[in-house]
Amino acid sequence: MSTLELFRALQASNFGRFIGSLDHLIHAGIQLMHITGMLLLLSSIVLVSLRLLGIGLRTVLLTEIADVANRFIWIGLALLAISGVLMLAPSATNYYENDFFWDKLVLLGLALLVHVTLFRKVTRLEHTPASAAPLAVLSLLLWFGVAFAGRFIGFF
Amino acid sequence: MSALEIAQRLYDSQLGTALRESVYAFPIVEGLHLIGLAFSVGLLFFVDLRLLGVFLRQVPVADIMNPLRPWLLGGFVLTFVTGILLFIAAATKIILLPVFLFKLGFIALAGINALWFELKWGKSASAWGWSPVLPGNVKFAGFTSLLLWSLVIVTGRLIPYLSIE
Repeated sequence: MSTLELFRALQASNFGRFIGSLDHLIHAGIQLMHITGMLLLLSSIVLVSLRLLGIGLRTVLLTEIADVANRFIWIGLALLAISGVLMLAPSATNYYENDFFWDKLVLLGLALLVHVTLFRKVTRLEHTPASAAPLAVLSLLLWFGVAFAGRFIGFF
Repeated sequence: MSALEIAQRLYDSQLGTALRESVYAFPIVEGLHLIGLAFSVGLLFFVDLRLLGVFLRQVPVADIMNPLRPWLLGGFVLTFVTGILLFIAAATKIILLPVFLFKLGFIALAGINALWFELKWGKSASAWGWSPVLPGNVKFAGFTSLLLWSLVIVTGRLIPYLSIE
């Protein structure tokens, strides 16, 4: 099954058609869930990244900030994933044809990869290495890229 | 000049027209509005949670509030400037939406709450902010901030959904 067939099947499924048939205010609610998740995620990344750059909560232990932020990051990602599927299902074929949708998925993949490898590793260290600063910038750029590509989808 | 006339003039201005006619300008400004929100309302969310005693309660309030303040205020500037641009691009439509007026109202109330907190408590945070559990007034300001900014985001996101085509 090709990706296009999969997207077509999702849109034609009972689930896809059911979500599509819902009132536009429910769709606005799904969008609200998406932006809530995005803001929880981005602000947590910003909070930890500022600390990694040495310009944030300097007096607080990095591991302490990262612990709290991580909880919000995963809550944010869960909200984003659930609302994302709900947005995708009823118009999957439109998303399939949207370049920014695929840009967003690639950036999301990279951002998640950096997050669960390097970012996680650095935020668990007792002494922050010099490489923490460029890593924080990379992580910020990737997540901001995800947000930007996401905003672009609706306009093309 | 009425609000509607001002909106019409902004809409017809070179800037308003340019924003509408460019393929990329509008989504770029939208993207920056979102990044601005992550710094402003997003970082303020952590300050509010500290005031409520939920986030890093063993850390003095001043140690959280002071280093974040410039980032948070910078975020508000970015959000505000991009918000004005988004308004100019669609001023004649947006000015007629009750949900937009509600958003402005919530921003004003949240601003008053923040100003009151800064003047009454913010400057002396190093004196009172050591305890995990804070005075009732401080908690109230944190809760009010959290609630009002959430309402700003909700009403803001609803603007395109409640627009008259």
